Amino acid sequence: MSNIAGKAYAMNVITPIRWYTTWTNKLFFKAATLLPSTLKGLQTLSLIHYARWVIIPRNGFPHLDSSQPKEDLHYAYMLFFSNFNGSWDQYVDSFTFAIPSGLDLFWKWNVRYPKSVPLTPFHNYIRHNQIDTAHYYNAYPMAASNDVKSAQKIKKALINFNAKSSDKSPEDFLQDYYQLLNDLQHHFGDMKPTPIVSLSSYEVKKRYEQTQF
Amino acid sequence: MTKDLDLTDIQGNIIKAYGAYNYQKARYLFLRVNNGDKGRKFVGAITAKVTTAISWNKSGNDPTVEKPTATTNIAFTYVGLKALELPTASLRGFPEDFMMGMAKRKDILGDDGPSAPENWDNIWKERVHIWMSINALNTEALIERYNWVVQQVEASGGGVTLLTGHRGDNGEDDLPYQEASVLYDESGESTPKEHFGFTDGIGDPVFEGQTNIAARVLGRGKLMRDGSWAPLATGEFLLGHVDEAMEYPKTSPSPTLLARNGTYMVYRKLHENVGTFNRFLDEQSKSFPGSKEMLAAKLAGRWRDNGAPVVKAPDDASKAEWDKAFEATDFAGKKRMLTDFNYNDDIHGAKCPYSAHLRRINPRGSLEYGVTDAYETPGALVNRRRILRRGLPYGSVKDATRDDGNHGIIFMALNADIQRQFEFVQQQWINYANDFKEGNDKEVLLGNHDAQHPGKVVLQVEPGSGKPPHFVNNIPRLVETRGGDYFFVPSITALKLIAAGMVDPT
Repeated sequence: MSNIAGKAYAMNVITPIRWYTTWTNKLFFKAATLLPSTLKGLQTLSLIHYARWVIIPRNGFPHLDSSQPKEDLHYAYMLFFSNFNGSWDQYVDSFTFAIPSGLDLFWKWNVRYPKSVPLTPFHNYIRHNQIDTAHYYNAYPMAASNDVKSAQKIKKALINFNAKSSDKSPEDFLQDYYQLLNDLQHHFGDMKPTPIVSLSSYEVKKRYEQTQF
Repeated sequence: MTKDLDLTDIQGNIIKAYGAYNYQKARYLFLRVNNGDKGRKFVGAITAKVTTAISWNKSGNDPTVEKPTATTNIAFTYVGLKALELPTASLRGFPEDFMMGMAKRKDILGDDGPSAPENWDNIWKERVHIWMSINALNTEALIERYNWVVQQVEASGGGVTLLTGHRGDNGEDDLPYQEASVLYDESGESTPKEHFGFTDGIGDPVFEGQTNIAARVLGRGKLMRDGSWAPLATGEFLLGHVDEAMEYPKTSPSPTLLARNGTYMVYRKLHENVGTFNRFLDEQSKSFPGSKEMLAAKLAGRWRDNGAPVVKAPDDASKAEWDKAFEATDFAGKKRMLTDFNYNDDIHGAKCPYSAHLRRINPRGSLEYGVTDAYETPGALVNRRRILRRGLPYGSVKDATRDDGNHGIIFMALNADIQRQFEFVQQQWINYANDFKEGNDKEVLLGNHDAQHPGKVVLQVEPGSGKPPHFVNNIPRLVETRGGDYFFVPSITALKLIAAGMVDPT
């Protein structure tokens, strides 16, 4: 069990919310989707692979078979699902201080939500309601969100460069090549294994790797 | 908001960088407590001479306290506090990083290969319980205070042992103290430089409660939305005070009297590979479009000769202009030119590269990447990652082509939360760069570069200029860790409680 796979951290948080107030949250979600500028803080936090908030109605949980007992829920629930680089402990400060009002808006009306500042009650609220990840597969463990974005950008630029410049004279080719390097200068970071997210997860990883031979 | 700190309760090394007060010489001592009762008596004897943070009698100041010829400060490791028999209920309140100590945090800090604990000075093979520092105006005062401490050790009747095992200038590996000193130029004048030739310790953070804030806060506090600077919250650097998260630091042990006005200190002995650095700079500057000094400035974020920030003087021509303005201005103007800047006009790193030491350890507002009002405050990702830096160079360079002399820096960082502040900067911003969108590219000067797979950094240029960025390749390990640990620096009140065996968290 670990919330970490490679450079990514998986976070599932499920929090109770009064069913008769969920329409306001849905409205916020809708507004945020229609007005992407409200999410610019979240987008500028480049360590986030993605984040999603979903309201699950009281009677909306999956009921797979008639033999499955029906639950009698007092609350609707909000599911927050995100993958990001680093860990919650390492980056909770970044989230809280970058987008405190955004966090407060998304979790508004959630039962016993403490607000994002001061930090410790918020940190504890998320940890308390977090469902730890039982199984987590990461196909590209060395890729942070930024690495993925850079790789896509470099691939596209190289294909264009090849199409546009491959037949040019050496002088023109060199000029185009310099331009290409200039365009891509923020995308050349090395991709190597993750720094250790925590000493406990590092030990887990080492023990796991020993079982693979 | 203004706030008065109880300066008579806070140890002087937290508030003052002694080097800036002309204390040119220092010795750092490490001791082991053999007996709780006698150990506490020793702490009591030392506490009587511990230097507080009170302002000294200077012209213009209320003359209350004379500046001493030598200062003394004291701090403890977790095992040290245990040896002094603090109650378990207090001990368990300390944070995990401090309880573990620095050697066990090596995988987080990147202390591998030549920096690994097995290569540290012999002293770190001992059980280090107490750190003491003596900073002095001259060698006589230094030796006098050192002899006084040695007398106290002897008077402890075996209660404490002064540990040996520091490396020295002449190949010794068993010295009973770590000597440190400012460096001197050819004419014998003291300089603020370290062995690579960079000017050190210019932009220390400024926080609520310090004196003369208005003049010092520019470029050193937290950057506000309107471009002004405000002092950081006291609790980022002192326990028992509210921090940037509007709460008391979580790292405080119980009771409050034990924690309040104390803080945590990271002590690191950093060996500088002077020969490798000089060869690296010579080699790299051959292909660099600019002078060797300009390249050195791009790596550090400041020019070597006078500390000019490279974001304000990004090339040789603009440096000449900057120097003229610097010469023409007064003392306050000079200070301002050295510290008062941000990266708002350098979003792409064309002036000060993303990998420059200065930008990595304190990105100011630049992690918003020029997105207008992206975060609640421009320093949202930075204000919780600041550290007070203390320390001095040690040793001397006898042969600038070699690495194996005795030369480096005694680096000390003070912060309320080692994991969130010092360790985060070391791990995420020095040895990794995802927050800077530079993948695993390590900071050049301090990064734990791997000899088998040497890394590179990109020195950005103006976007759209058609010029290629400059690649600095084959970066060797320029700085190696030679030892260190994590210490708790108690207040004077807490020192007295510890010495009296009266710490009671009930």
